[in-house]
Amino acid sequence: MGLKQYIADIVEAVVTTAKGMRITARYGVDAKEEITQQYPEVRREPSERFRGFLHNDIARCTSCTMCVKVCPVDCISLEAVRGADKKMVLASYDINIGRCMYCGLCVEACPTKCLTHTSGYEKASVDRGELILHFVHEDPAEIKARVAKQVAEAAAKAAEAAKAAEAAKAAESPKMTESLRPGKAEGSIVPAAPAFAAAVGNPGGGNPGGPKAPDAAKEEWEKKG
Amino acid sequence: MEALARSLVSAVPAIAGVPLWTVTLLMMVLSAAVLLAFALTFGGLGSYVLRKVAGDIQVRIGPNRVGPYGLLQFLADGAKLLLKEDIIPAKADRFLFILAPYLVFVGSFAAFVVLPFGVGLTASDLNIGVYYVMAVTSLVVVGILMAGWASNNKWALLGGMRAAAQIVSYEIPVGMAIMPAVLIAGSLSLQDIVRSQGGLLGIFGWNLFHNPFTFFSFFLYFTAAQAETNQTPFDIPEAESELVSGYNVEYSGIRYAFFFLAEFGDMFVVAALATACFLGGWHVPFFRAEALPALWGNLLSLAVFLIKAFALVLVMMWVRWTLPRLRVDQLMRMSWKYLVPLTFVNLLGVSLWLLIFKGKGIPALIASLIG
Repeated sequence: MGLKQYIADIVEAVVTTAKGMRITARYGVDAKEEITQQYPEVRREPSERFRGFLHNDIARCTSCTMCVKVCPVDCISLEAVRGADKKMVLASYDINIGRCMYCGLCVEACPTKCLTHTSGYEKASVDRGELILHFVHEDPAEIKARVAKQVAEAAAKAAEAAKAAEAAKAAESPKMTESLRPGKAEGSIVPAAPAFAAAVGNPGGGNPGGPKAPDAAKEEWEKKG
Repeated sequence: MEALARSLVSAVPAIAGVPLWTVTLLMMVLSAAVLLAFALTFGGLGSYVLRKVAGDIQVRIGPNRVGPYGLLQFLADGAKLLLKEDIIPAKADRFLFILAPYLVFVGSFAAFVVLPFGVGLTASDLNIGVYYVMAVTSLVVVGILMAGWASNNKWALLGGMRAAAQIVSYEIPVGMAIMPAVLIAGSLSLQDIVRSQGGLLGIFGWNLFHNPFTFFSFFLYFTAAQAETNQTPFDIPEAESELVSGYNVEYSGIRYAFFFLAEFGDMFVVAALATACFLGGWHVPFFRAEALPALWGNLLSLAVFLIKAFALVLVMMWVRWTLPRLRVDQLMRMSWKYLVPLTFVNLLGVSLWLLIFKGKGIPALIASLIG
């Protein structure tokens, strides 16, 4: 190493150091761009197609159970009963958001587009049970009892109407009554029996064993999750 | 200190009956407490500023959650360190392990004693001030090596070994780079060195502008001193990418805090020494602080000294967040092949300059030419 190289080394060290110091000084004094966002105070708007928490607009839900069938991680559970007007009535609709992997298959499968992704993503909790989103806020047992009552009332009404018609017919021609009766009963009255509801509500095996109280369902989620 | 005690006893009639040695002792304890409080506050606020500067340079925000602008962050950190579990490894050498942080802290804190904070503000104006600082800061190397050895940990031991090699190597250029100031003042006392830089508009009396050799001396000292106190980019004893945390890897809680405070104490000592030896110490530019009444003169000179020293500390932080760490061999080469020869040449140059120009610097020569 000659003296020339020695001095060149020193000059290079000083020049490159000064260059680096100038760059950091420029950033330190005037950063020109703000990168860090003060998260809790300032939130970035998620993009339009952001797949956040799921939301079910239950007013439009037909309880078709497509979402339950398509969910790869079985995080959706649904219970429904046949109502008096032959439409399905939701007894409970729960999504375990702690298990959901935000694949969006359920949203694609939903025929009425009532199941959607929201932009929500903040759900820290100390209890896994809190991660289950309930969309039907009433007690499923109450709903079922009410629907069963409505169905029974409707059935009684139908039976009365049938009786009245029969009586009218009997007055007209008494011989016809025997042949008409069974067919009518089969077509109009479907009892809202628990077994039926369970068959509708649990095709994916998400909630076996028929209807349950919310607490029991929650416990089972925790066991599984 | 004793003279001050004597004047205090004669000035305040209420303590006339108290023996002189009691008053002297009390004043010693008091001044030590003041210096300690200063060192601790500097360590705390220094860590806050360090992190803020790092944030600015790296286009981040830095601490901003505790108190206004995150100013109370250092109190939160201090409370955290106090509450941490004090872990001593089972196979550590307990006695040395416990002793090491104190040695390191004492080594950096003892240097505060001779720092010339103001016209009359020195805990003790030793006539071998510079020599004392050099000697006492060498105590740090013993503590660091001790910590590395006692931890019974390969990273800690490697860190301690590196620290020993580095600090011993860099003491030579540090001493040689500070010698020009000693030569010009003709004294090792830091107050004498500062006093020798007065006059000539306050700025041109500084040793920095005395002659070209002293100008380079300042930068050589500043570089070598950063290496001697293990500041980044010369922090190979605690290089976290190689040695996890180096010699203090096994320390936790308040014992770790001692190393931490010692690092900041070193930072201030280096900045203060550079200020005293090259930047005119407490001399106020364009003004004579000594001519003021004692109280105001002291306060003004203290403020000026601290501003200069803190500016240098800021430069050290700036360097810290700019330059990448040196490799071990690069570090040794820098000391022995570059800094040592250069400081020797500088010392020779300053000696010759003082001989040829009868101790006058360039500003003084120009002033005498003008008239």
